[in-house]
Amino acid sequence: MPAYKLHYFNLRGRAELARLILNQAGVEFEDIRFERSEWPALKATMPFGQVPVLDVDGQILAQSNTISRYLARKHGLAGKDEWEQAQADMYADNINDLMTGMRPAFLEKDAEKQKELYQKFLVDNVAPHVAIVEKQLEKNGSGHLVGTELTWADLAYYGYFAFLVEKYGEDFLKDAPQLKALIALVEALPNIKKWVESRPKTEI
Amino acid sequence: MTQYKLHYFNFRGLGELARLIFHYAGVAFEDVRFERSEWPQLKASMPFGQVPVLEVDGQFLSQSYAIARYISRKHGLAGQDDWEQAQVDMYADCIKDFMINGRPIYEEQDPEKQKTLMSQFMSEKMIPHMAVLENQLAKNGGVLVGKDVTWADIACYAFFSYVSVKHPDILKDCPNMSVLINKIASNDNIKKYLETRPTTEI
Repeated sequence: MPAYKLHYFNLRGRAELARLILNQAGVEFEDIRFERSEWPALKATMPFGQVPVLDVDGQILAQSNTISRYLARKHGLAGKDEWEQAQADMYADNINDLMTGMRPAFLEKDAEKQKELYQKFLVDNVAPHVAIVEKQLEKNGSGHLVGTELTWADLAYYGYFAFLVEKYGEDFLKDAPQLKALIALVEALPNIKKWVESRPKTEI
Repeated sequence: MTQYKLHYFNFRGLGELARLIFHYAGVAFEDVRFERSEWPQLKASMPFGQVPVLEVDGQFLSQSYAIARYISRKHGLAGQDDWEQAQVDMYADCIKDFMINGRPIYEEQDPEKQKTLMSQFMSEKMIPHMAVLENQLAKNGGVLVGKDVTWADIACYAFFSYVSVKHPDILKDCPNMSVLINKIASNDNIKKYLETRPTTEI
């Protein structure tokens, strides 16, 4: 088994999906976390001046979805064939787009304006996507996003939507029973449950 | 023979990378293009309400990079093993970040604000990351990963050939990247495609 070291802030953010994949797969890794104050000194040591970074036996991989995809492939969570793997990639990119789309709201300093931006984001970006994914889940019929088994796509949707529920409540999922069921399915996986209970509690 | 149809607007944008990969690989595909005015009608027929979409024997895949990676893997342009493929993904993501982070700057209406955002973007993201790509090319003999062209190299071509129209000196400090761009542009299949490709603003 290679020695994995995952480097990121002491946050969920863009590293949490990799952590979920590793935990679900039952794979050991060093979960290296640093505070924001330590970042300026560390930045220069990261190949793209960014984190997360995955150190695999001393070789470095950057870019959160690249890291997650690599780990998913190595540990049976990527999809059964190239087409399924492409679909999982597609779903992971959907989540990436949502995370990126939320950034302006996240960065807004004015509390009132921020609340407005978040609400707008939920209505304009999240709601249409939830409706679309709900249809895809119905069409796929297995309870999973891709194929008949758990993939990192399911973990990506769990990671993001469980976070939104935590922040904004479940109302936005009221017309999406399949997506709600998927979130519950992942939440109940023994390795995921154990991880969520024991991981550092962070705001994001 | 697999039937490939790529659905996208009649411009380069996010669909061009898949087109370039198909052409580079010499793989036949239906390059379905539509005008902006047709989009509202078509949107409902696209499973995720977005394009580009790759239709493979009647099944649909969306997300430009999922599409690019899939066709690259099928046609020997993705990297030789899991680690190389991850390296390719990483460099391609770097290009994607340029596109995603650059977009709001181009859309900024206030010229003063745009100038500030652009300057910040260049100094904080573009210049340092272009230096990383440039160093990798220098270290790795002219392609980003392994011994042969991969879709990460084609993504660089798609991005820099696009940007250098408005910013002709963007690669002034990146001679190895310039060589790579020319290498891709000079490929026979790409040359042939460029001769007949519709000329579009973006």
